[in-house]
Amino acid sequence: MTWIDQAIDGLKRTNIELIAYLPDTTISPLIEATQDDDAFETVLVTREEAAVGVLSGAWLGGRRGALLCQSSGLANTFNALASLSVPARLPFLGIVTRRGDLGEFNLAQVPAGYNMPGLLDELSVRNHSVHDAEDVDDRVEMAAESAFSTETPYVLLLETTVTGYKEESK
Amino acid sequence: MTGEDERDDGDEGRADQFVCTAAVLDVTPDVVAVSNLGVASYVLAGVADRERNFYQWGSMGVTTPTGLGLALAVDDPVVVFEGDGSLLMSLGVLSTLGAVDPPNLTVVVWDNAIYGTTGGQPNHSASTDFVGVAESCGVPATRVRSEDAFEDAYRAATERDRTELIVCAVEPVDPDTRPPFDFAHIKRRVREELAGE
Ligand SMILES: Cc1ncc(C[n+]2csc(CCOP(=O)(O)OP(=O)(O)O)c2C)c(N)n1
Ligand SMILES: [Mg+2]
Repeated sequence: MTWIDQAIDGLKRTNIELIAYLPDTTISPLIEATQDDDAFETVLVTREEAAVGVLSGAWLGGRRGALLCQSSGLANTFNALASLSVPARLPFLGIVTRRGDLGEFNLAQVPAGYNMPGLLDELSVRNHSVHDAEDVDDRVEMAAESAFSTETPYVLLLETTVTGYKEESK
Repeated sequence: MTGEDERDDGDEGRADQFVCTAAVLDVTPDVVAVSNLGVASYVLAGVADRERNFYQWGSMGVTTPTGLGLALAVDDPVVVFEGDGSLLMSLGVLSTLGAVDPPNLTVVVWDNAIYGTTGGQPNHSASTDFVGVAESCGVPATRVRSEDAFEDAYRAATERDRTELIVCAVEPVDPDTRPPFDFAHIKRRVREELAGE
C-alpha cells in the first residue's frame, strides 16, 4: 500500500468524514484520494486558520474532521489553535507535509517548517513526525485516537522521507 | 442587493443589536448560533444564554468558518453573529461560502464600523462594500439599517435553501453581560446539545 492508501485507511477506521484543506505538491494526491472517495466531504479553504474553524464547528455538530495542508499553512493557523482549539478543547487531526528539513531547497520554508515540532509544543499542540511510509496507516489511526479521545488537536507531520521532495539543485 | 429581493431601507439610521439578536432567536428558536468574540457574544449572552450558543472568546477572523463547519454537521439552521472587523480579517471566507453554500447557514454581520470590543477604534467598514464583496464571491447579500428590515431579511434568508449574508448597520453598544468564561464548558454544552455526547 502506498502512504496515500494507508492514510485513507486510517482516516476511515477512525470515522473521519470531513476534510478541510489547502494543497501543496506532495499532499495533493492524498487530497485527491479523499475527493474520489464517497466516505469523505472536502472543503477547500482560502487560508488554513479557516480550516480550524470549519473542523471545530463540525465537531461541535458531531462530525470528525482532518486538516490537510503544508507546514507553512499550519503556521497560518496559530491564533486559531491558541485561542480556539487549545482553550476550548476542540479536536481535529492535522496531516501536514513538513517542509524545511531533509531535501529542502527553499529558505522561506525553513524557519516555520524546520521548527514546527517545537512551535507546536510551545502552543501545547501534541504532534508526531512520521519518517517511514509504512508507518502512516498506524500513525494516522493512533493520532486520531489521541485527538478525539482527549478532545484536543493532534498534528501528524509527514516528513519528506515519506512524501518525497522537490529536487531543485541537481 | 439580491435582485429578487430588494430591501435596502435607506442610508440613514442604525439598528439596535440587542433587538436584532432577539429577533433571530424569535424567528428561529432552534437556531445554532456562533458569535464573534467580544460584543457579539456579550449581546447574545445578554439576550439568552442558550445551550445552542457557541460563543467565541478568541479566534478573531474564524467565526464564520466555525459557523460553516456547524452548518455542514447539523440540519438545524445555523446563524453566525459576525463582527465587521473580524470579517475584514478573513474576507476570503466569503469565497469558501460561495463555493460550499450550505442551505442552512445565515451570516449576520454587525456593522458598527469599529473594533467595538477593544474600545471603538475605527475599521475599514466605511470604505468596504460588504454586500458587493459577498455577492462577487457568490453569496447573496443584503444590507439593512432598522430592526424591522433586519427581521424581514433574516426571515427571508432562512426560508431560502442557500447561504446568505445580512449586513446590519448597528449602533455601537458596550454591554455588561458576558458568556461563561469557561471556554471548554461552552463547547461541552453545545456538543451535548447537538451530538448528545
Ligand atoms: C487576532 C486578533 N487580533 C486582534 C485582537 C484584539 N481584538 C479583540 S476584539 C477586537 C475587535 C473585533 O472587532 P469586530 O469584529 O468589529 O467586533 P466588535 O468588537 O466591533 O463587535 C479586536 C481587534 C484579537 N483578540 N485577536
Ligand atoms: Mg465591529
